[in-house]
Amino acid sequence: MAHWSRFEKELELETRRLISHFTSIQDEEDQNFQMALKFAWSNFKFHRFLDVNRHNVQRSINGIHEKLMVHSDLSKAESWLRLTEEFLSSPLPNTEGTKSDVHYSVVALLLHLSDSPSNTNYCERPRLKETEKEDKFDWAKYLMEGEDIDTGPFPDTPEWSEDESEEEDSQQPLSREDSGIQVDRTPQEDHEQNDKTPSVNEMGESDSRAWLEQHIVTSYWVPNSPRFPHSLHLHSNLYNVWDQHLYNTGPLYLPEEKSFFTETQVIRETLWLFSGVKKLFIFQHNDGKVTVRNDVVVTHLTNNCLHSVLEHIAAYGQAVSRLQKFIDEVTGHSAEPCPPGLNSSSSSSSSKKSSDPPFRTYQAFVWALYKYFTSFKEELNTIEKDVIAKDETVTLSSVLERLSPHLAQITMLHRVFCIGVADVPPGTPNVLRASHLLNTLYKAIIEYDSVGEASEQSVALLFSLWVETVRPYLEIVDEWIVHGHLFDPAKEFIIQRNKDVPVNHRDFWYATYTLYSVSETVESEERLSDAASGSSGGEQASSSRQHTMVSFLKPVLKQIIMAGKSMQLLRNLDCKETAQPDDAERKSLYTLFLESVQTRLWHGEESPTNTVTKQQATKKSLIKMQSIVARHLELDDIHDPLLAINFARLYLEQNDFHEKFSVGNVILDRSSESVTCQTFELTLRSCLYPHIERRYIECCGNLMRTLKKDYRLLGYLQAMRNYFLLEAGDTMYDFYTAIFDKVLEKESWQQLAFLNVQLQEAVGQRQPEDSNRLSIFLETIDPARKKQPVNNLDGLTLSYKVPWPVDIVMSSECQKIYNQVFLLLLQIKWAKYSLDTLRFSDLTVAAKTQEGGQSEESTAKEPINQQIHRMFLLRVKLMHFVNSLHNYIMTRILHSTGLEFQHQVQEAKDLDQLIKIHYRYLSTIHDRCLLREKVSFVKEAIMKVLNLVLIFSDRWQAGFGAWKIESIDKMESDFKNCHMFLVTILNKAVCRGSFPHLESLALSLMAGFEQC
Amino acid sequence: MASPASANMNAVRETMDVLLEISRLLNTGLDMESLSICVRLCEQGINPEALSSVIKELRKASDSLKASENGTSQG
Repeated sequence: MAHWSRFEKELELETRRLISHFTSIQDEEDQNFQMALKFAWSNFKFHRFLDVNRHNVQRSINGIHEKLMVHSDLSKAESWLRLTEEFLSSPLPNTEGTKSDVHYSVVALLLHLSDSPSNTNYCERPRLKETEKEDKFDWAKYLMEGEDIDTGPFPDTPEWSEDESEEEDSQQPLSREDSGIQVDRTPQEDHEQNDKTPSVNEMGESDSRAWLEQHIVTSYWVPNSPRFPHSLHLHSNLYNVWDQHLYNTGPLYLPEEKSFFTETQVIRETLWLFSGVKKLFIFQHNDGKVTVRNDVVVTHLTNNCLHSVLEHIAAYGQAVSRLQKFIDEVTGHSAEPCPPGLNSSSSSSSSKKSSDPPFRTYQAFVWALYKYFTSFKEELNTIEKDVIAKDETVTLSSVLERLSPHLAQITMLHRVFCIGVADVPPGTPNVLRASHLLNTLYKAIIEYDSVGEASEQSVALLFSLWVETVRPYLEIVDEWIVHGHLFDPAKEFIIQRNKDVPVNHRDFWYATYTLYSVSETVESEERLSDAASGSSGGEQASSSRQHTMVSFLKPVLKQIIMAGKSMQLLRNLDCKETAQPDDAERKSLYTLFLESVQTRLWHGEESPTNTVTKQQATKKSLIKMQSIVARHLELDDIHDPLLAINFARLYLEQNDFHEKFSVGNVILDRSSESVTCQTFELTLRSCLYPHIERRYIECCGNLMRTLKKDYRLLGYLQAMRNYFLLEAGDTMYDFYTAIFDKVLEKESWQQLAFLNVQLQEAVGQRQPEDSNRLSIFLETIDPARKKQPVNNLDGLTLSYKVPWPVDIVMSSECQKIYNQVFLLLLQIKWAKYSLDTLRFSDLTVAAKTQEGGQSEESTAKEPINQQIHRMFLLRVKLMHFVNSLHNYIMTRILHSTGLEFQHQVQEAKDLDQLIKIHYRYLSTIHDRCLLREKVSFVKEAIMKVLNLVLIFSDRWQAGFGAWKIESIDKMESDFKNCHMFLVTILNKAVCRGSFPHLESLALSLMAGFEQC
Repeated sequence: MASPASANMNAVRETMDVLLEISRLLNTGLDMESLSICVRLCEQGINPEALSSVIKELRKASDSLKASENGTSQG
């Protein structure tokens, strides 16, 4: 089993090698690789091929020979026969014997793979057999050399370095070329070097020549460059030892051509790579990827070891080069055309690119990155200087160690860059890109921040990056909330102005700005608030996109929008009062933000010392306290020193305890408030938000003041209540009684001219300034609804022309609601009026005349007096009902809600709030006047009663005898039903406690009902 | 140093050279490394026909993959 599994494992390994060799996919996790592996396995394991038949193979060999002969490729044919024969009789690595099945299967494989052998030019290469010998010679020398040194006078020779073997000078018979490193020459190389320096043989020049050769770098980048000479010490030949070992153990191991390096060269190339140089030898750039050359070798490390280190470096180098490329692209230094990812929104032509407004957020980000890279390059420079100075040994690992904090930061930056910039799909609008970048940075800060002190450096770096990157945003916000002008040419801010809505338009407040949310799709923009959706529009919209917008602005977004819009509105209101803030003296939001961040961080650093002194102070005070206690004890005639000492000790202990306790606190404080900007959000809250908040209060307060003072906002609100809600009782009384009288006299009142004249007369007398704003309209309504007399008034609409900018608050939607209430009020007033104007004499007189005429007939049923009395009673009941309804609506609802509303309006901070208050007020009165759909059955019952009232008064007017006694019965029972229904419903509602305002109506109706 | 093992090693190396020549003559397109992988696989009992079909498929697939990559990077 074990054997089987090992065999299986080897097979697996070989298969993987095969695949990676043929597909050149190195990553075994790659999906394609796995697919290939599966395919290969299924073929190997479940193939349905015949086993190799050696006769068939032999026949094929002969066939090919014949074919070559036919093609008169004599030499080829001869080679073919000879080579196959030779191969079949040679040993294979793991197979015993010759001419085995394996031999034949290998030949069969080649035959299967062969691709028209007769059509290719082939000439046999003479096979070299000298490699073995040469290597042997070398290795004897190497090993001898190693033993020599080990047993020699310098057993403690340090590891090889460039300036190491100066002292071995005299011992070494071989000449040295480069700063005293021994020469390891193959004869061939020797020859080459001799070729190079044939002419310089003079004594005087040879010195300088030697100096030059010592100080010049061998041109390792040229193929087949001479190997630099190096020590023969065992330590510095690890590569060769290992190579030889591989060669000895694996018959299939192929020695490859390698380029040899010194470690210094590798270090230098590494430093260059980090500083953004692209043309390097060890590291190669292929479309943005940095790869390590395969044939790079240092003598004292094995290939794999060096590679694993270099791959690591290459990964960092790739990050650096990617960031560098991004910087170049944004600053416009790049000579290459931009990649599709970054510039696809604009066309690739540079002329157009330059005409596009600059994308300031990326620019700011790049500026921050650039600053970081400057410091990083300084560090690289110092390292390179150290390498040049040769004062101390600089090894690759020491360089990496030294750079490790920087490299960690670069990895982090690269990660942020990848998520925030590179992963953004092409064609994304700037606003998404900008806010995505800011969000990524913000998230990264919070993420690293939560790790605590371990990532202080990272957080500090990210924070500075963020502070730089956020600058354009804050400047846009600043410009907007201070000057009321949203200056954002590259369209990167999350809020954008809709150009088609002028400032002095009614929809300005709602439709002017679009808030872009950063989410998956590009189309996911939403209107900040929709005028049609009424009061709750803004809130709904903002709650649904919580996760998508720039998160750091979220807590103050509303304020920013409010302040910005208010400021813009204010600018357009051309009011003289708002003095322009002096631009020269005013600090921009960004400066303010920076200042407060600085003071906060400074405070954070200072605070520990403060607390320490405070502690000392408390200690002193406690000691003082002790003496005071002692004195107190003395005052109380207790001269007990022991007690005093005990007290003192007690205090001291407490003091100690306190001290320990507070020391812990201090440490806590330090970690939470130092430069790490722990509690990043707190920092923002204390440094950024207050400034915005202050500006917001200022702007909105200004706007509210202006609107109230210069634009008589409150006056208009009052006017709406006056006319629509009939608060100006006398004025409106004149108006509606005129209509009611007309109806009473059965004349047509539905003429626009008549109505308007009445209205103007009524209003013009008392409030002449409003008379030209008010007008009345008649809407045509379908005749089906006109059946009931109470619906006669339907279609009567009052309109009040509200000037800009007050119409932002009082929109036409508001007027619609006002009109609904207005209509209800008119209906109640009408019922009340028609009941009030009934005269008893009408009935009694008519009754008397009738009594004389038709006494005989009517006595049969009921005495007339009794009928009249019933009419009187019904009238009183109806009056009670109508009056209680009237009272309820006019006083209990409209008046008290109006008072509440006025109070809230006074306290409203910004325009949005004011609009909301107004809408809330309207919806409240709408609700309470039972106009809501949900309680329409109540309203219907009320309407029925009002209708009844109108019919009743109609009949009353018509006089006794114009109706039958049954109709009184009918009216009585109808009224009773409706009344009962209403009382039950209202009582239920009141008992449930859900509508406290209904209580008075329910009570008064009930009172009327009980008396029935 | 010249143990029987190393002598065998040299012999094997020569065999491989011969094999490489044959492979070149047949225009199989295999290099030394792939040849040694193939030999090892054959020694482990993989059917040559299966192996050859796998190699052909792998070549085809990797060519098309490269072509598509080139296509996307240019486009």
